[in-house]
Amino acid sequence: MKSYLSLALLCAFLAVGCAHSQRPSSAVATQPGLEPKTVLLAADSGQQATYAQVKPKTQSVNDDENLDYAEDTFKEERVEIADPIEPFNRAMYHFNDKLYFWALKPVAQGYKVVVPEPARISVKNFFSNLGFPVRFLSCLLQADFSGAASEFGRFGINTIWGVGGLLDPSSNKELDLQKQETDLGQTLGVYGVGHGFYIVWPVLGPSSPRDTVDIAGDYFLYPVSYVYPWYAGIGVRAYEMVNSTSLRIGDYESLQEAAIDPYVALRDAYIQSRLKKVKARKARSLVFKAEETSAPAADTALPNK
Amino acid sequence: MAGGLFGPPQTVSKEAGGLNTAIGYFYHEDTFKNDTDHLIRQNQVYSQVAYGAKNMWEIYGRIGVSDLKISDCFNSTNASTTTNKLNFEENWKFFGTLGAKGFYPVNKIFGIGTFIQGTYHFSNYTDSVAGSNNGTPYTADLKIKNLWDINFGIGFQLTVPLGIKLYAGPYVYYSEAKASLDTNIPGIEYVAGNVSIRNKSIAGGFAGVDIPLFKGFHLNVEGQYADRFSAGAAISYTY
Repeated sequence: MKSYLSLALLCAFLAVGCAHSQRPSSAVATQPGLEPKTVLLAADSGQQATYAQVKPKTQSVNDDENLDYAEDTFKEERVEIADPIEPFNRAMYHFNDKLYFWALKPVAQGYKVVVPEPARISVKNFFSNLGFPVRFLSCLLQADFSGAASEFGRFGINTIWGVGGLLDPSSNKELDLQKQETDLGQTLGVYGVGHGFYIVWPVLGPSSPRDTVDIAGDYFLYPVSYVYPWYAGIGVRAYEMVNSTSLRIGDYESLQEAAIDPYVALRDAYIQSRLKKVKARKARSLVFKAEETSAPAADTALPNK
Repeated sequence: MAGGLFGPPQTVSKEAGGLNTAIGYFYHEDTFKNDTDHLIRQNQVYSQVAYGAKNMWEIYGRIGVSDLKISDCFNSTNASTTTNKLNFEENWKFFGTLGAKGFYPVNKIFGIGTFIQGTYHFSNYTDSVAGSNNGTPYTADLKIKNLWDINFGIGFQLTVPLGIKLYAGPYVYYSEAKASLDTNIPGIEYVAGNVSIRNKSIAGGFAGVDIPLFKGFHLNVEGQYADRFSAGAAISYTY
């Protein structure tokens, strides 16, 4: 009896789903508990958090509008990327996983106990301020001149009145100069360069050939890279990673608990996050904004079959 | 000698309590005495972090760099000694300042406050002099070490329309450093071993204005007069 009921429900689901419209359902979106939530899924290279839209699985879908919403969300969530070196990637994923649980997390937990949160946030602000060259150059290359001006203003104000970047007065509501979350990988994406395939770098985390350019660019444009001697620079980077981790202990664990296959979840979240960021950057660009409306991006997400 | 402006007696931090930060420039002149008087000049650039609350009190710290010029430092009083220069000059060295201030508002317009501010120069200032003594060439290094000062003052403040604060008041101060020449040169005032030099005057007056600019920024301009006139400006940001 149960199997017949399930079959009937499946048929009904497919029949209604075939006639869905692209119209977003505001009624559902405003229902408490049904809003899509942004959850932290993972962090790549200890610097950028990866987020994904997750639909709460609380209420049963029992009307047309809800089905429309469910399908739209489903379509948006599933993004594909080629993964021809999956065995290597899985090995690197497990390496990074062990690195996190065996080294990074215990150190970060100890650090968290010793150093109060405001101090850790100040350290994060300081390193974020040092990342100005990459963000500024990326904004310029993307023809996002207001973003470049905002970054320039942030850097000046935070360096001078933020005590070398330890404080972030630019983000206060009076000044409201928000940080431009961009990099050279996104710049290539704005230019129409696709991801290529998925690759997990040891220590640095999820990436793609296109986004690996960002790792190289970050090396040359990040002042810490020029700290001498070389092991002092590595020490500074390690400290930055520990400090950053101390501010988000538990996020990665949540992903692992929620996902059936954390590797796949991380990969999907990463690629979707990057795709959204590139789209957001295109929307801000004076040059590439027009291109996006007339032609699809090379980096368009492919829904799963 | 002061490590920057004294600032308005009343804190610019929010009443509920909060930080304010500033960047400042101060041109300082004073007269120091040993056997003879020497004019001292400094250009100071500094960054300040302060925490204040209730519009009544504030503590602050500064870190900055300063140069140092002492006039006629290498002037020879011996006819057989010549020097290639007269003035001691050294470029940017670090200094730190700590201060605290309290304020009592008599009414909405007038108030009275007091402050204490101390500065210490972490690095030695060094300059070399060369010349000849009885035809024998020489070179010598003069070090100015442990330069520090402490200032205490009382400020009277008027708050006029647009939130502009005018303030003035007297202050007393003490400043000292050790001077040491690495070789004794006949005719040059400073000798090997530490010689204390200190400020000639002990009291002075200061006056300034604090102008709210936009979006939490303030401009502070101040002049100080003891034996010589000093002046500076700072732009602060209130969180």
